[in-house]
Amino acid sequence: MTITICIGSSCHLKGSRTIIQKLEELITERQLNDKIELNGSFCMGECSNGVCVKINDELFSVSPETVNTFFENEVLRRL
Amino acid sequence: MKTTFITDINKIKFEVNTEVARLAFAGELDEKANEIPYKLIPGRTPHYRCCVYREREIIRERVQLAMGRSAMSGQKNKNIVQVIEAACEGCPINRFNVTNNCQMCMAKKCLGACNFGAIKFEGGHAVIDHKKCKECGKCAEACPYNAIADLMRPCKRSCPVDAITMDEDNIVVINEEKCINCGQCVINCPFGALSDRSFMVDVIKLISSGAPVYAMVAPAIEGQFGPDVSVGMIREAVMKLGFRDMYEVSLGADFVSKNEGQELLEHYEAGEKMTTSCCPAFVSLIKKHYPQVLKYMSTTVSPMTATGRLIKAMHPDAVCVFIGPCIAKKSEVIDSITFGGADYAMTYEELASMFEAKNIDPEECTETMQQGSKFGKQYSVSGGVTAAVLETFKEANKEVELKVKTCSGAQECKKALMLLKVGKLPEDFIEGMACVGGCVNGPAMLGKSRTFLKDRNGQIAKADDRGVLENVAQYDEYGINMTRNHQ
Repeated sequence: MTITICIGSSCHLKGSRTIIQKLEELITERQLNDKIELNGSFCMGECSNGVCVKINDELFSVSPETVNTFFENEVLRRL
Repeated sequence: MKTTFITDINKIKFEVNTEVARLAFAGELDEKANEIPYKLIPGRTPHYRCCVYREREIIRERVQLAMGRSAMSGQKNKNIVQVIEAACEGCPINRFNVTNNCQMCMAKKCLGACNFGAIKFEGGHAVIDHKKCKECGKCAEACPYNAIADLMRPCKRSCPVDAITMDEDNIVVINEEKCINCGQCVINCPFGALSDRSFMVDVIKLISSGAPVYAMVAPAIEGQFGPDVSVGMIREAVMKLGFRDMYEVSLGADFVSKNEGQELLEHYEAGEKMTTSCCPAFVSLIKKHYPQVLKYMSTTVSPMTATGRLIKAMHPDAVCVFIGPCIAKKSEVIDSITFGGADYAMTYEELASMFEAKNIDPEECTETMQQGSKFGKQYSVSGGVTAAVLETFKEANKEVELKVKTCSGAQECKKALMLLKVGKLPEDFIEGMACVGGCVNGPAMLGKSRTFLKDRNGQIAKADDRGVLENVAQYDEYGINMTRNHQ
């Protein structure tokens, strides 16, 4: 599975870096490093819905506050 | 500052980037981006193409790239290097052509060599029927007079990983699974039909937001902004743009030399080979085309990541922007978001446009600085990484008898990696750089002629002779992690 996080300026200001760190922590905690790849991306053009995060090609709106729920509900379910 | 350009394509790219930067600094980009094609291509007389409408469409696509988007809307491609479709002339040349050297000989080896019945004889010489020709090249190999010329399209010829194909209209297509973003096609297409996406607007927006944005300039910087413009002067100019400060990536390179040296000794003592990991196109070449040898690649981070980690250790909120001669660094940023190093990567070309947009002239600056050792500064030249790693042995009074393969350019890298893959590489260490001559010949250099190199060498000669290890030791308190895994 590839999780792509928008690193455009708008998403950066909304906390994309924190989301990357938290996802990395959650992935390491559950030893899923072999199964999940984290990648960055240029602006996805959905700035008003940022931070934009894609699981494969499916787009989600995630914030530093919702990243744990996002991981539990959306990421783990798709593995 | 008088800006000179390698070709008119570089000039057009500069003009587009400058307009985009100007509007981004003014906060007017979204409303006024559509005006750029009319501003740059006024009137009715075209300069390079069939009509002004096509020229404006090319500018429009270039504006998209400068804004970090795909050149064509609706494209989902993630690649850094992208096709500007309107700029591609679809090079209508047929790859193999019979030249005047054809002697209409008796042996007719071309005829025998062709498996597709594409060779005919008309008007006293051989002729290739291009409807039947499969471009296998057997006829050209067979001709005893070298009378058959191979006119491969420049984009395809320049690509070291065979990532360039054509669509049904002969327009260039990049196979992103294969592409290593080395940028060779960008500098080799004579019509400028390939170019790189930019993070420049993101960087300008972050600067305007008041975020603490730090620039990190790659070691090829000396001489790029004028014969007498030193790194210190560039730092002053960069800070006038709104960056909080500027660091030299040659400093991070010193960290890499120390760490990679230790790693190399361990490999050497265990009888294992090792490759460098600082050139992002070389790293992609290994990952995408020689995954079997990935285990030999140094696990040391790149000088870019090392510098970014150091800046973040000193300033935890820092947004780190790499600025270099390299297109592939942009893909390194995207692939290494978990490394905690650089947040964005830009090019010297884009930095020059930002200076122009803000009317800042580095030549008018006066400051001085030096952070990297001379060895760190030479990371941008083929052989420079090896010299720096060996220097760390010398400084630590270690004697190591290493055999090194210095690969200058992707073709040499491929040969060495192939030998490594089949276990026949005689050397112990591969230094891989995807650009011939190293980063100083990178695709986004502002100038790479002899004059530029002379200016560069002149400036580096003025740097002090600090040792690599003593330079790194100054930052010991920060305990910078130098491995690729973040933790």
